[in-house]
Amino acid sequence: MTSNPKLIPQQEYILQGSINDSAVEMLLHRLQGLCDNADDPTETFLDREYIYSIKNPSGQAVMLRVRQDLERKDYPWHLRYLGQPEIGDKTRATLVRSCIDVACSNNVCKFLTEMGFKKDYEFYSKGYMFKKGRLKVIVAKIFHVPTSEVGQQQPVFADSNVQTVTQSYLVEVSIVAPSGSDPLADEIKQFADQLKPLVNLEKIDPRRLA
Amino acid sequence: MVVIVQQFPIPEGKTGQQVVDMLIKQFEAMAFNRIGNFVVDCETYYSSPTITPPRVLNIIHNSDFPASCFAQLDTGTCLRADSYFDAMMMVLNGIYQAKRGTKIESKGPKFQKGDFVVKIGSVSIGPSFRGILIEIEYGPCSVPLYCWDLLKEFMKSFMKVPKEPPPYLKAKMGEICTPTDIISQYNIHFTNLRKATPIASCPPPLTVKGSSNEVQNNGDMA
Repeated sequence: MTSNPKLIPQQEYILQGSINDSAVEMLLHRLQGLCDNADDPTETFLDREYIYSIKNPSGQAVMLRVRQDLERKDYPWHLRYLGQPEIGDKTRATLVRSCIDVACSNNVCKFLTEMGFKKDYEFYSKGYMFKKGRLKVIVAKIFHVPTSEVGQQQPVFADSNVQTVTQSYLVEVSIVAPSGSDPLADEIKQFADQLKPLVNLEKIDPRRLA
Repeated sequence: MVVIVQQFPIPEGKTGQQVVDMLIKQFEAMAFNRIGNFVVDCETYYSSPTITPPRVLNIIHNSDFPASCFAQLDTGTCLRADSYFDAMMMVLNGIYQAKRGTKIESKGPKFQKGDFVVKIGSVSIGPSFRGILIEIEYGPCSVPLYCWDLLKEFMKSFMKVPKEPPPYLKAKMGEICTPTDIISQYNIHFTNLRKATPIASCPPPLTVKGSSNEVQNNGDMA
């Protein structure tokens, strides 16, 4: 293995929650006031995310996520690995998971398939992004990809064409930082507390949802 | 820019280092300016037996693209990614495994004169010298077809030039040359040079027989 000094392990500190469609406007106003560049228009995004998996020799699945920006088509695609979330005890304010995010060329899906990865599923994520210092806040709605568009490289996202997964928005507050930056978890928690009672952001273990 | 990577033959009786020194002198005599050094390295990963069909993945770095990492499969598909892609290979440890001692690299000086940049690379796997690769870059043009004759003419001044472009370039004569094309050319040469037998990079030791202590001399053999 190459010993690259640039490879400092990165971890994502994250809290998640959801808010009903009817209340999202209030949350957006609140976030615009709390976050940086309050005078600028809110930054929007429309991503398509593909989830690929491969089994290692011991039979465990390794998942990689590919993200394609549909609003800014000249932006690079992103390949992400998210490790197993660590809930920790009550003293740890956020979920922690290892995170590798790599910008890459748009042939990444073909590349992963040829490597032996299988595509598990894909979805659209459309919403708003805010920043406050190192903090990233996402308020996004998840959409099914119509069967007719599955596998298409240049999908056309149209409100008439897509189907929502739930009647609510996903809210995420996160920071990606080198491992061992535990005080950041408290920073996220303090920010999340300011969004109460509109949204309760918690440590959500996806394994318990399955 | 259009880039061609060619293997430079080592004449019999000469060592790799002697040929490199000769090339350096030749470019200096042609009023080329030395503009630094370069290195292109390649590490090969093999898929685990659970992956069908089995795959070979080459992870290549080029010092001229320091923020990038190139991952090329044996199918020819080449992914351009951030240099942080190396961390992704750690996650895939066990699924794709690097074989120890297979890291191959081409490194050496680079020269420039006007629109031409020439890189003289000594190729080695660990301490084992494998050959010389010359990279010629012509800046003002992006399509090989439009500057092949000019490149040929330039290359003639220091090496034997094939009538036809190398197969990789020939297939892409009408297309815009990208960094991926440079990497792919290196990858083809690296694959061939891996199979080649090691060559002496230094002059062979001079053994004076007949004396009680054999004397080894690493001086010039010219």
